[in-house]
Amino acid sequence: MATEIKSDRLKTDEMIINMGPQHPATHGVLRLILKLDGEIVRHVEPVLGHLHRAQEWQGQNRTWFQYQALIDRVDYLSGMFTSWALARASEHVDGTEVPERAEYLRVLASELNRISSHLLWLGTYLIDLGALYGFPFYPFREREKILTFLEEISGQRMMFNYIRIGGVQRDPKADWFKRVEAFTKEFPERVNEYEAIVTENPIFLDRTTGVGVLPKSLAMEYGVTGPSLRASGINYDLRRFKPYSVYDKLKFDVITFDKDGDTRDRYLARVREMRQSNEIIKQVIDMIPQGDIMAKTKKQNAGLRVKAGEGFAAVESPRGVLGCYVVSNGSDKPYRFRWRNPSFSNLSVLPPLLIDRPIADVMAIFGSLDIILPDVDR
Amino acid sequence: MIANAAEIRKFTILSWGWLTIIFGLVWAVSWLVGVAIPLLLANVQADWARLVTEICQVLTPLVAVMVFIPINAMFMVLAERRALALFTVRKGPNRVGPDGFLQTLADALKLLFKEDITPRGADAFMFTLAPIIFFAPSIFGALPLLAAVTNNHNLFQVVNLPTGIFYVLAVSSVPVVGIVMGGWASNNKYSLVGALRSAAQAISYEIPLVLSIITVCLMAGTLDVVKIAEMQKGGLLNWNILGGGALSGLNKYFQALAAGQADAHQMLSQYYPDWGSVIATVVLIACTVLLVGIYLTGACAEINRIPFDLPEAESELVSGYNTEYSGIKFAIFFLAEFTNLFIVSTIATVMFLGGGDCPLPDWLNPLTNPAVTQPVGKFFSFFTDRIHLIDPSTFFPAIWVIIKVYALVFFAILVRGTLPRFRIDQLMAFGWKRLVPLSLIIFVLVTFAKGAVRLHV
Repeated sequence: MATEIKSDRLKTDEMIINMGPQHPATHGVLRLILKLDGEIVRHVEPVLGHLHRAQEWQGQNRTWFQYQALIDRVDYLSGMFTSWALARASEHVDGTEVPERAEYLRVLASELNRISSHLLWLGTYLIDLGALYGFPFYPFREREKILTFLEEISGQRMMFNYIRIGGVQRDPKADWFKRVEAFTKEFPERVNEYEAIVTENPIFLDRTTGVGVLPKSLAMEYGVTGPSLRASGINYDLRRFKPYSVYDKLKFDVITFDKDGDTRDRYLARVREMRQSNEIIKQVIDMIPQGDIMAKTKKQNAGLRVKAGEGFAAVESPRGVLGCYVVSNGSDKPYRFRWRNPSFSNLSVLPPLLIDRPIADVMAIFGSLDIILPDVDR
Repeated sequence: MIANAAEIRKFTILSWGWLTIIFGLVWAVSWLVGVAIPLLLANVQADWARLVTEICQVLTPLVAVMVFIPINAMFMVLAERRALALFTVRKGPNRVGPDGFLQTLADALKLLFKEDITPRGADAFMFTLAPIIFFAPSIFGALPLLAAVTNNHNLFQVVNLPTGIFYVLAVSSVPVVGIVMGGWASNNKYSLVGALRSAAQAISYEIPLVLSIITVCLMAGTLDVVKIAEMQKGGLLNWNILGGGALSGLNKYFQALAAGQADAHQMLSQYYPDWGSVIATVVLIACTVLLVGIYLTGACAEINRIPFDLPEAESELVSGYNTEYSGIKFAIFFLAEFTNLFIVSTIATVMFLGGGDCPLPDWLNPLTNPAVTQPVGKFFSFFTDRIHLIDPSTFFPAIWVIIKVYALVFFAILVRGTLPRFRIDQLMAFGWKRLVPLSLIIFVLVTFAKGAVRLHV
């Protein structure tokens, strides 16, 4: 006599888990309200704002000069890019001509910063996948070298405040370029090392292939940008699509994939982007001209002003399109700021990716989007 | 070129220092309780003296294990941290004591004096009982192995069981009860998920683990760990990892060749009479090598180590079943985890790697050559014959066991430093769809191949 098992009789209650804000793997203070059916996630609700510091409001209550230093804190892994977006927007309002050497130095410093950001992502992503103790330290070895380079030119390891309105803060010494060049020569070897450990690792493949597939249409709807978008097959990189600074003079590939990107594609996109950034750095060191590093019209003290007007500028940060909208009334304080942060849009795509995935994939997918929480909350 | 040779040297010194302390201490304590007190009381003609002697002899193994477990866990934690630092070009803990020698001692003291928190809404009784249930089996489970690793020394014969390995396996499946209890009683959802994962995982991976051990027992024809270890004596070719003793005929042949015996070739045809036996030998070697792999995989899952550390999966479940534990209770969980790692490595050593056997066969081994052993033995005769501090028939096997076991522990650390974690569905699929059928197939193959060749001749 066969007994029939009805599926609804096996159904159990759903369990609500608050993942975060204090959780070792949420990269800061994100709170995810997960409804779990056993191990399967049925509903996700991200709760933002635990790190809200009113960065835009703070900008309106500080002088231009003060705010320049503050804005590095928004995306603490890629401070160069926030300063650059602010500088570009202000220069756009102002009509300032930036000296060419300064533009090259900006590219150089930013691409170094992009590599260091991706390296940190690589290490922490493997932690998200459970390789807690071994691999994550290897990328930090190279990141340490980059941070030392950036410290030499800016005086800070992470909150650089190097790119200023009108140019850059200081000119590196001649032997600095030589050391950076030596680093760029050995760096591809290091990336090969990482790939040897990770890319074809069977457990890594199991955990990432086909996990968190982000279709093109979904990515477009939610405004995902950066490597995550390019891994989903959309060739959109501001450096190529709308070249700013001196990027139109540099040769590099925009890493895109043909199909809808899964977690592994996003990993590959970032790893290949590091190699491209390395190529850009090599070219910049060859091409960099002599000259001024700061526009003559700009002061480097509290007297820094921007002419009245409004403008928007965006740069391609390691996480995507980082935009800055500025309104100036000509006084020593900005009138209004508005930031377009890539992490915010990238995070918003998380719930549709997580539905009906096991709880272990929450971190695998969340990590692969490369989100910086202060960048989300500002 | 080795980038951090200095660190490797420090690590080696530190490991050998700790090992000397651990095993010196265990040795001294077992000698004190098992030999010295009975020796002192040997001339006392009184009932109480006989009673004390008997009690001491029964208690020796227990005292040895109780002394061993906490110090060993302290060493293993330190060794793990230092070894992982080596793999990742760091320095690791190197501040407390010379080169971080006492780091884990300080950590243990800190944990002892930390506040012992029971979360609100937790079942306090169960919450306290869980670490005890988790820890106790690692004491009792280790006991029968003690006889095997000391070459059946008469101090430890008392703990030997005819069904030794069966008992060890039965006891080693108890800790999961402690995990589930702890996870359930914590009143924490992460703990609960971790505990349930642990139960599922332990049940799934126990099957291939037990099947691989049973296959070895099938080849050996006994469940007695001492007998299994004794069978494998006589060098690498006799060990269970290479065909479960199918190569011991070859070993005998090499010995005869080395001794210059004229009828050596006859010996070969005596042990391997036909092609069937040769094929069976090859099959057995393939099977046993796979069995070691299955055993180590299953053991890794059984003791929740990376890549199978899902019950505590730090990046998903905070700390899994022990999220809410602090202070001494957490220390006990920690202690038991590392002791379990040691125990599964010991089982692997006894069952597959020849126990206390030297990889070199006797006729190649200078340590068993009478020209060497007699003068050395005379030199140490005071220790061996007068006060019975050292028993050579136990001393050298014990050293080989230590080397093999810690080599396996080091391997586990290396794995931990390399691999990411499985997901629960992949873990289950890997267990039930790959390991269980594979171990069953090997079991059947061994059953047939075993009849075609003489094992452990």
